[in-house]
Amino acid sequence: MIEVKNLSFTYKEGSAPTVRDVSLSIPDGQFVGITGAAGSGKSTLTYAFNGIIPHCYPGDFYGSVLIDGKDTVETSLTDISRMVGSVCQDIDSQIVSSVVEDEMLYGLENFGVPATEIEPRMDEALDAMGISDLKYCNIASLSGGQKQKVAVAAILALRPRVLVLDEPTAELDPASSHAVFALLRDYASKRGITVIVIEQKIALMSEFADRLIIVKKGGILLDGTPAEVLENAELLQAEGINCPRATSLGNELAKRNLYAGPACRNVADALRACEIALGFEAAGANDAQAKLGAPSPAEGGQA
Amino acid sequence: MIEFRNVSASYVAEHALLKDVSFTIGKGEFVAFVGTNGAGKSTTMRLCNGLLKPMAGAVLVDGKPTTELKTSELARKVGFLFQNPDRQICCSTVRDELEFSFKAQGKLDDAARAKVDAAIERFGFDPDAEPYLLNRGTRQLLALASIIVTEPPVIILDEPTTGLDYLECVKVMEVIRDLHEQGHTVIMVCHDMEVVADYADRLIAMTRGSLVAEGPTDEILRNREVLSRADLIAPQCISIAQALCNRHPELKATAIANARTVEDLVAAIEEIRGASPCAGAANASAGTDAANGAVLPGASSSQEVR
Repeated sequence: MIEVKNLSFTYKEGSAPTVRDVSLSIPDGQFVGITGAAGSGKSTLTYAFNGIIPHCYPGDFYGSVLIDGKDTVETSLTDISRMVGSVCQDIDSQIVSSVVEDEMLYGLENFGVPATEIEPRMDEALDAMGISDLKYCNIASLSGGQKQKVAVAAILALRPRVLVLDEPTAELDPASSHAVFALLRDYASKRGITVIVIEQKIALMSEFADRLIIVKKGGILLDGTPAEVLENAELLQAEGINCPRATSLGNELAKRNLYAGPACRNVADALRACEIALGFEAAGANDAQAKLGAPSPAEGGQA
Repeated sequence: MIEFRNVSASYVAEHALLKDVSFTIGKGEFVAFVGTNGAGKSTTMRLCNGLLKPMAGAVLVDGKPTTELKTSELARKVGFLFQNPDRQICCSTVRDELEFSFKAQGKLDDAARAKVDAAIERFGFDPDAEPYLLNRGTRQLLALASIIVTEPPVIILDEPTTGLDYLECVKVMEVIRDLHEQGHTVIMVCHDMEVVADYADRLIAMTRGSLVAEGPTDEILRNREVLSRADLIAPQCISIAQALCNRHPELKATAIANARTVEDLVAAIEEIRGASPCAGAANASAGTDAANGAVLPGASSSQEVR
């Protein structure tokens, strides 16, 4: 459980607060996606979750952040990092070893994980990220995306209660990005780990996250389920956040009174919206609606 | 312009990262390389501008092998935007950064200064700003501007939109589109299939150091077999169009089959409904002749490699 109360933070060298009066409550096992335009304060907000502020960056810190009831200001960074695992935006600044196996061992050994558990945990995390074959590789020989997978695997192996990931799929190929998001969803729903991801890839967050938070100028602009947030397509567009194409398609059909359901989060939702617009659903021509488990819009398919 | 003839390459001698790769990119093309992490896309880019020399085979730039060209000669022909702008930016002001290539070539004359001024104006840079204090998107634009200011005929971009927000991404891609329209050859590595679909004319799909397929963007992105072999995911609109056609085969004869964008899909749906407002679907099933040039998803003329 993460509880943020009236948090404001101004960097020492900054003239205005980067995070302004943010209050949030994130229950255990929730998968939260955070996005916003460049410079909106997303990364700074995650620094509050993992204790980097106020412990590493000096500045004015108001309000409080509680992780499982522990105030991050009063808890040492070591103790916070036992609860909160973080993956930085700049992978090269996170990686400390020259071989993948050593990088995996670094955290496990420093956290005093029993020797018998180290090997299985390492293998499990490498396997989860699909990079078991890279275990003995030299990190300098890896591509940007492969390094990013190593950084995420090294954190997963520590099994933190909370995962904070700043653009963990920025350099990953589409299939790997999809796989990482599916994995994070499973970590949240099956293991009860709280997952907080900052990403520009709103299509992936809409599909996998339980909750979407849009940050603007250090404050929270929108906070809700992906479908609720995506209802505000025009507001998002004005903030420089591009809705998934599936959402835009659903919205265009809605504007023409061809679809009246909830905002489309993904391809499956948009497919159903198109079928309604084409009159397939009204005619009972197929079982798409039943399969997708979505509620029936009132005037679907009627011209 | 750029030709790969049976190229193999590697960073460590015993382990070939690129295996027997051949392709040709003509003058003025806009080609995107797509594929999994570690497929060899960035390695291919480094071979194009001679940062890496082939272990076997030949990379020809304007008909000359890169092994016979000096790095400085190649740099004039092939501009290279790295994945991370911080690996590229090396000067302490924006103006110095933009003048860097001209200085390196010993050609910082009035004409060059005019080009630098024009770039500053076009991108809206503060010429005295310190590059490291700029935000990521602006640093990316600065790195791009410092490459294109010398007007190299070929421009290579290694994931130009990574880490940028949507507006920054559009800004960078519009600059690249302008360059292509002015006749520059653009070669790009990109993981964002929506960006690829919106901008590139031709795709080369790679996996594990080899080519999977090459062909027009639209054909590759509709070819399920190629997408699966290269572990790619089609852009959302193409996925939606294909799923509609698979579930309702009568739609294959409509404009939905070729739809690529939100606008295409909406127009196609309106057209089908317009033809028979009460039962659009039934109408679609009636017109199954090939008059409107519908194609089966997956049926493709793109050239597959092995």
